[in-house]
Amino acid sequence: MNSDSNAFTQYLQLRGKDSAAATGVLDTLNSRAADALAAIASHPDSDIFAPDYGVNLGHLPMQADLATSFRCGVPQLNSLLAVVANDVFYPTENLHRNAPEGLYAGSIRTIPEQFADDAASMLETGISDSDAPALVNSLLLHDGVYIRVEKGVEVEKPVQIVNILNSDIPLLTPRRVLIHAMPGSRIRVLLCDHSQTPATAHLNSQIVQVKVEADASVELYDIEESSAATTRYWQLFAEQADGSHLTVNTCYLTGGKTVNTYRISCGNNTDTSLSGLVIASGTENVSNRVDLRHTGTGATSKQLFKSALFDKSRGTFKGNIYVAEGAARTDASQSCRNLLASADARMVSEPQLEIYCDDVKCSHGATTGQLDERALFYMQTRGVPVEEARNMLTQAFMADVIDNISFEVLRQRMHMLVEKRLSGATADCSSCAACHAQSTE
Amino acid sequence: MDQTNQQQRSEADRSTIERATSGEYKYGFTSDIDTDLIPAGLNEDVVRLISHKKGEPEWLLDFRLKAFRHWLTLTPPTWAHLDIPPIDFQTISYYAAPKKKEGPKSLDEIDPQLIDTFNRLGIPLEEQKALSGMAVDAVLDSVSVKTTHRERLAELGIVFCSFSEAVREYPDLVRKYLGKVVSYRDNFYAALNSAVFSDGSFVYIPKGVRCPMELSTYFRINSAGTGQFERTLIVADDEAYVSYLEGCTAPMRDENQLHAAIVEIIVEERAEVKYSTVQNWYAGDARGRGGVYNFVTKRGLCRGDYSKLSWTQVETGSAITWKYPSCILAGEGSVGEFYSVAVTNNRQQADTGTKMIHTGSNTRSTIVSKGISAGHSQNSYRGLVKVAHAAEGVRNYTQCDSLLLSDTCGAHTFPVIDVANNSAVVEHEATTSKISEDQIFYCNQRGIPTEEAVALIVNGYAKEVMNKLPMEFAVEAQKLLAITLEGSVG
Amino acid sequence: MEELLKVENLRAGIDGKEILRGINLTVRPGEVHAIMGPNGSGKSTLSGVLAGDPRFTVNGGTATFHGVDLLSLAPEDRSHEGLFLSFQYPVEIPGVTMVNFMRAAINAKRKYFGEQPMSAADFLKMMRQKRAVVELDNKLASRSVNEGFSGGEKKRNEIFQMAVLEPRLSILDETDSGLDIDALRIVAGGVNKLKTSQNATIVITHYQRLLDYIKPDYVHILYKGRIVHTGGPELALELEEKGYDWIKQEADNEQ
Repeated sequence: MNSDSNAFTQYLQLRGKDSAAATGVLDTLNSRAADALAAIASHPDSDIFAPDYGVNLGHLPMQADLATSFRCGVPQLNSLLAVVANDVFYPTENLHRNAPEGLYAGSIRTIPEQFADDAASMLETGISDSDAPALVNSLLLHDGVYIRVEKGVEVEKPVQIVNILNSDIPLLTPRRVLIHAMPGSRIRVLLCDHSQTPATAHLNSQIVQVKVEADASVELYDIEESSAATTRYWQLFAEQADGSHLTVNTCYLTGGKTVNTYRISCGNNTDTSLSGLVIASGTENVSNRVDLRHTGTGATSKQLFKSALFDKSRGTFKGNIYVAEGAARTDASQSCRNLLASADARMVSEPQLEIYCDDVKCSHGATTGQLDERALFYMQTRGVPVEEARNMLTQAFMADVIDNISFEVLRQRMHMLVEKRLSGATADCSSCAACHAQSTE
Repeated sequence: MDQTNQQQRSEADRSTIERATSGEYKYGFTSDIDTDLIPAGLNEDVVRLISHKKGEPEWLLDFRLKAFRHWLTLTPPTWAHLDIPPIDFQTISYYAAPKKKEGPKSLDEIDPQLIDTFNRLGIPLEEQKALSGMAVDAVLDSVSVKTTHRERLAELGIVFCSFSEAVREYPDLVRKYLGKVVSYRDNFYAALNSAVFSDGSFVYIPKGVRCPMELSTYFRINSAGTGQFERTLIVADDEAYVSYLEGCTAPMRDENQLHAAIVEIIVEERAEVKYSTVQNWYAGDARGRGGVYNFVTKRGLCRGDYSKLSWTQVETGSAITWKYPSCILAGEGSVGEFYSVAVTNNRQQADTGTKMIHTGSNTRSTIVSKGISAGHSQNSYRGLVKVAHAAEGVRNYTQCDSLLLSDTCGAHTFPVIDVANNSAVVEHEATTSKISEDQIFYCNQRGIPTEEAVALIVNGYAKEVMNKLPMEFAVEAQKLLAITLEGSVG
Repeated sequence: MEELLKVENLRAGIDGKEILRGINLTVRPGEVHAIMGPNGSGKSTLSGVLAGDPRFTVNGGTATFHGVDLLSLAPEDRSHEGLFLSFQYPVEIPGVTMVNFMRAAINAKRKYFGEQPMSAADFLKMMRQKRAVVELDNKLASRSVNEGFSGGEKKRNEIFQMAVLEPRLSILDETDSGLDIDALRIVAGGVNKLKTSQNATIVITHYQRLLDYIKPDYVHILYKGRIVHTGGPELALELEEKGYDWIKQEADNEQ
């Protein structure tokens, strides 16, 4: 393994002083990140960035038709679809034609003049000068998606962004999604992660930055169905203005090593629902790390994370609820429930409360255990084979996370995907149900 | 609980309320005792001097020197949720002992001022006056001054004496167990203690013996500019039982004083050790001046099958507390418990909790932690529950509650739960809330003033833990809770 | 007449403690057997062992179920072969709906016998019919298994499942416990409706009360892990009148 500083500085060297590929706001971002990164001596996640990944410095596209050949497989989802192939954004005809008035969704590369300042500021949202993984993303970023909903506009159809990895060389793909919901607006965004070259060891670096303005509502759903060779480093930075609502739900179905981080700051009277589901097997390693910060008064937040770990998989949950001095009437809860389904699985939970205000109601709970033996026997006496009973109980265990998904088509689809995953359906992207339904149905 | 106990408890409740209106730190006096104090500073010569003054054997000096050399390579831990001002370890005196020619043969030979000190603390050294059912080892500054009830215990084969005496009289036992649970390499303060520890208590309960009385050590820092570095070693052989109590106080001084102790406990097959602490070191004044830095490493090894170790602590004192009494549950079916009440007020900081390391199969642990924060204090629970891959059928239940009494204090919870065996059931629950205004109003309406209502409610909140304390301590602990929280509700 | 269940010298226990110390019992199609006995005599152990509850260990003896070695089968295969246990304490399974639960059970059984899964329409139709047997509310069927059910609802749900699975032998373990008189009547009525000349029932109960509704052909008294007395329905009445003490004395004297 490379030493700490090499793990990150290798990307500084790779990129060189000036990159021709980036433009406008991205160029500024790149050089600022370069300066900050050069000053960082070490970071706990450096080993993730240490391998020798290739980077797409020239903004080279994937085969042109590959991206457009995708169609969403969530039936009747009827989404506004866009594709990010490796690290290049591909709008689709569907997105162009059907985007309603008041919604802009397009590449940061070619961002219209009037949104440039906003995008530039959003690109920096939440990223500190010590956050080496995020700075590497900022350093190498040459494309990304900017989604903006104007004041009071409620976007009916979900915006769906399908992330595809396709390369025979191991790539580090910097990806970025910016979501800015203006006051009183409403939008739902679905992100799906897939790998079409499952044997290649990619590092998928994704940052999602969300600004939910006053009384606006953003729902963000993320499904990961990639391959055992894939490493994903996913970072969410969200800021909620007064009275806003934010739902974030991540479903990990397959992958290799995944780190999901969530940093959310809540304003006055905001409402936050954060949930995650992990089904891991083989040697998969999945971390969810939450830093939820209450600085306003009267805000409510709920967290629910559940993991089912099979084989030699490993899960980590580290979740902090921070309540600042003066954040009165905060109501925050966090629940982390884990199933160890095999002798070699391992789960580490670190639920944390950091509270500087007395007028609060905060709680967390964490459990690690097994399926209920009595329930298993009861089902067996009714004739349900033990393996099937296990699957049904595991599915039931996950049900409340999935039920946090507010739109029904996706919710039903998730129930189905989880059922399929538990009954041993492979993680092969060519049969992936979320985006390739056309080939399987 | 029997009826007399209940009666005593309700009397304690009443006196809690009386105390709540009048008390301040009542242990803040200093005693003028002729003291043998070595100059401040720490180097190898000081370590040798301490060892020499105590007439220690070569192997113990070696142990100290190894620890000291290791300590030199370490830096103080910074991971706790504590704001610790830099400590200059060269300004502390590492040895302070009441002057005496020979060890006292009877109470008459002890400095009367010293007896008076302990009497004022409510710790009777005169055996005829001693509380029935309790043997006391009193440690002033660094040295054990008097251990009571020795003869009666000796009849049962129980060893209860100062650590120095144990080194002289039972060198094999001490050598066999010293540093086996808390290695001098364990952490910064453990290394420091291992290098300079001056005295402490040693307990050995032989096979099959139930210790008929509570054993108690009372610690007192008296001299200015000194640290206290005591070491307690308790060994419960097969099927033995002992209940051990520890109390501590210090004078009120503007400077900070360092207390870095080590407690090691070994519990053999089917033996049980109950270790209770009422920690009441001087906490500093309302503005955060002075007070004891209480940096303690306490750990027990449940080595024998079906052994049991139970920690109960009531933490009300100290400017800064850094303390995690832990259990290594190695024996099949062994049981670990941790019951804690930690109260912080004014500018106090506490980072305390436990580790339950399950390496044996069918081991069980229970953690109940009640934090109460007031004033501008910061109070953290930090815990680890670890289930090793090979440990089958492990159970843990953790309940961790925090109560906030002011809008300027902090209450934090930092547990780590690491499970590597799929037959384990591990549950952790934590809540944080403020004291209920409804409850206070209800009390007010019944004529109970707010301050008393708070004392009542807090005592109720902490009851689950307080009930685990032996009677003699429970009464004192309840008073302490009320005194600590005095003036915290406006 | 052929034997449906033949239990011979069955010995079993839990955590190394022997509870059943040699049970002999024969049940033929069309029969209703009541097993009574004081607390701790082993009644629930017997039903658990027959159904394959993994908490119990079998130490000896045999149980043959229409020619099949019952004790060698997994619990689900015992179910497929036609053994049904109505639990004294039905288990709550949050998140699993009754509909999904019963569909899994029915289709597993069909698969066991090499049949195709039941069509959704047929399944729902059957569920409707069977619900009527115990007057089970439609709403309960769409809820999670036993979750939030009252005591009476749980027991009715047990009999509903019995109706769905059409067992050859039903063991009702303390089905009357915790039931008021109306619920008891409905549950017993369900059991009687499902009774045919081809199937059989073992009723495990502490009291005579349930036997007013489900008439036994034989009454066995279990004490300290053995059947110490067997008689007709009159034995239950005698017990009701005289209590268990005389049985205990008699049995203890024999030893």
